[in-house]
Amino acid sequence: MKQGDKQTDENKLFVGIDLGTSRSSISASNNTREWTESYVGWPKDFIAQQVVGKSVLFGAEALANRLSLDLCRPLEHGVIKEGISRNEEAVKDIIKHLIELAKPAEGQKIHAVVGVPADTLKVNKLAIRRAVAEAVDSLMVVTEPFAVAYGLNLLNNSLVIDIGAGTTDFCIMHGTIPTEDDQKTILTAGDYVDDQLFSYLIEKYPNARFNKNMVRQFKEEFSFVRDTAEEVFVEIPVDGKMVQHDIKNEIKRACESIMPALTETTIEMIARFDPEFQIKIKNNIVLAGGGSLIRGIREYLQDALKEYGQCKVTSVEDPLFAGSDGALKLAKDMPAKYWDPL
Amino acid sequence: MASHIPRKKEYRIRQNMLRGVYEDNLKIIGKGREAIYKHRYYLPKRLLLPVLLSFLVIILQSSFVSAPYLPEKYLAQGPRPKPVLAMNADNSDGPSNYKEFIGTTGMPMSRIFGLGVRTIMIDPGHGGSDSGTTGQNGTKEKEIALDIAKRLRDRLKKSGNFNVLMTREQDVTIPLNRRVEMARLSRADLFISIHLNYLPSRPINMIETYYFGPSSDPKVLKLAEAENADSSYGTSDFKDIIEKIGQTMKLQESREFAISIQKKLFVNTRKENGNVFNFGVKRAPFVVLLGVDVPAVLAEVSCLSNKEEEIQLNTEQHRDHIARFLELGILDYLNKGDVTYEARRQTDR
Repeated sequence: MKQGDKQTDENKLFVGIDLGTSRSSISASNNTREWTESYVGWPKDFIAQQVVGKSVLFGAEALANRLSLDLCRPLEHGVIKEGISRNEEAVKDIIKHLIELAKPAEGQKIHAVVGVPADTLKVNKLAIRRAVAEAVDSLMVVTEPFAVAYGLNLLNNSLVIDIGAGTTDFCIMHGTIPTEDDQKTILTAGDYVDDQLFSYLIEKYPNARFNKNMVRQFKEEFSFVRDTAEEVFVEIPVDGKMVQHDIKNEIKRACESIMPALTETTIEMIARFDPEFQIKIKNNIVLAGGGSLIRGIREYLQDALKEYGQCKVTSVEDPLFAGSDGALKLAKDMPAKYWDPL
Repeated sequence: MASHIPRKKEYRIRQNMLRGVYEDNLKIIGKGREAIYKHRYYLPKRLLLPVLLSFLVIILQSSFVSAPYLPEKYLAQGPRPKPVLAMNADNSDGPSNYKEFIGTTGMPMSRIFGLGVRTIMIDPGHGGSDSGTTGQNGTKEKEIALDIAKRLRDRLKKSGNFNVLMTREQDVTIPLNRRVEMARLSRADLFISIHLNYLPSRPINMIETYYFGPSSDPKVLKLAEAENADSSYGTSDFKDIIEKIGQTMKLQESREFAISIQKKLFVNTRKENGNVFNFGVKRAPFVVLLGVDVPAVLAEVSCLSNKEEEIQLNTEQHRDHIARFLELGILDYLNKGDVTYEARRQTDR
């Protein structure tokens, strides 16, 4: 990048935001990096407001006080959910909160690049723009896997698979901005694993009392595919008494439930690509997003793809910030003239 | 992990990507759409089939004017009977007289011949590389059409009376001739193609329903040109196509079917949104309607050029309502002439 093209104006703060279903993160040009769980909660009534002491709560704090709150997870399936006004409001609040966490200096103009899921139907990029626009001075929206690829310099002959909570996004990079044909979104992602695990646990332990939030925590702590030597026991209340439950098989089954769709879509995406370059892509598959933290997932996918020839799958080092770091890099590289109309 | 690209080339790639991001975002906020729209209609390779169809339409128009919708049996007899039956008030279409020939009033052929409708084929328009129209906010016709089609399928299946099939259940490219073939092979009894309109010159919301037939309206021809663009039919297929025009009965049935769909779609949509316009039942030379051997309609269920409507289309509730109105239209057509149904319909008014 030429020096002159870089944005060096001190009155501007460049931010990259990864707006996720489960977690949202922000990376800023003042070297701040923060994240929050994508939950927003508003006190249910006056008493609740007195108890929690705030008009709006975010992330873990909102979850901890959820009984007093109208809790909203606005980006189910990776897009702003229906019901629109409340969910847009929640997205606005998350963005505002993230930008506060980035600590912009007084009077600094905020130029933001926001990563959204690759293929949205129900609510499109404009809805995200609408929700974000108030909090920033200039805004660009890009797809999440593209932001990851840009940030990691995966510009050519690579396939980025961003396994999030609501969606898994596939994006082929071939030296140009990916078109619609280069990207695909499927809904078999983290939330799908939660649903599977929830149903398996209900089936196995009908008397145990647990909820979706607990199940999500079990998954985040113990997720694995193929095999693991360690035992997986969790405490779940039965008739009010905490009881140890073995959930190893259920965790494995739930995590592996996304693998067929993941493998098939990977093959489909590679097959779409120019045959001459397919080998290069197969050797540059990169897993990103929270789902890439499932133990053994990289090896599982690599083995599943082996019957289609030699391939190499790697995982990003920092899935929580890979999207926002890439978005920040885009923001910093973006020529100044492009920001003005947006 | 990172790609190994020479620095100069990398710089160029990044510059192109940044410009791409900028241009994409301009499109999102509604700037630069005109260029896309032009592109859609003026690709030379797409003109061949529409031009041929236009010729076909002119030929058909003249034959239809001299002998409107007559069974071939009458045409062979020389002097033709006077057209007698006018259409329902909610249609701007021409007269029909096959009912006189059959001696019944408003009863579908299937009922007359004791033929039950068992299989319904739903065709979500466009798909894959063909997005159809795109709203100013980026909503794609192919996606909305598919979602509505799936909802319609689920509703019809729920009744347990029909075998419901779809030409596509995913975002894939399927040429029109393949869709026709699927309808034939599956022995579908009824065919409905779901599309969304786009009127660049008038940002209104409107509903219209088509069945196959000639049209002299340049706007209709333009729409047919766009919808037929991926038909994959060759010039040699036109002989077969012309021969098929003889299927007057199918045309009449398709027209009845279109009337039911348009009526239920428009009346019910208007209850929810007074700003919808009724563009009525029309004839148009859509390839997908001609090739199917059974009653077939193409419903333009909504209009993406209307911003408010585009926002509504992004809500599940609205898409579900449209599917319900289409279901009502199908049932209305299938139950025409059924005494119980007619009585209930009169009571409901």
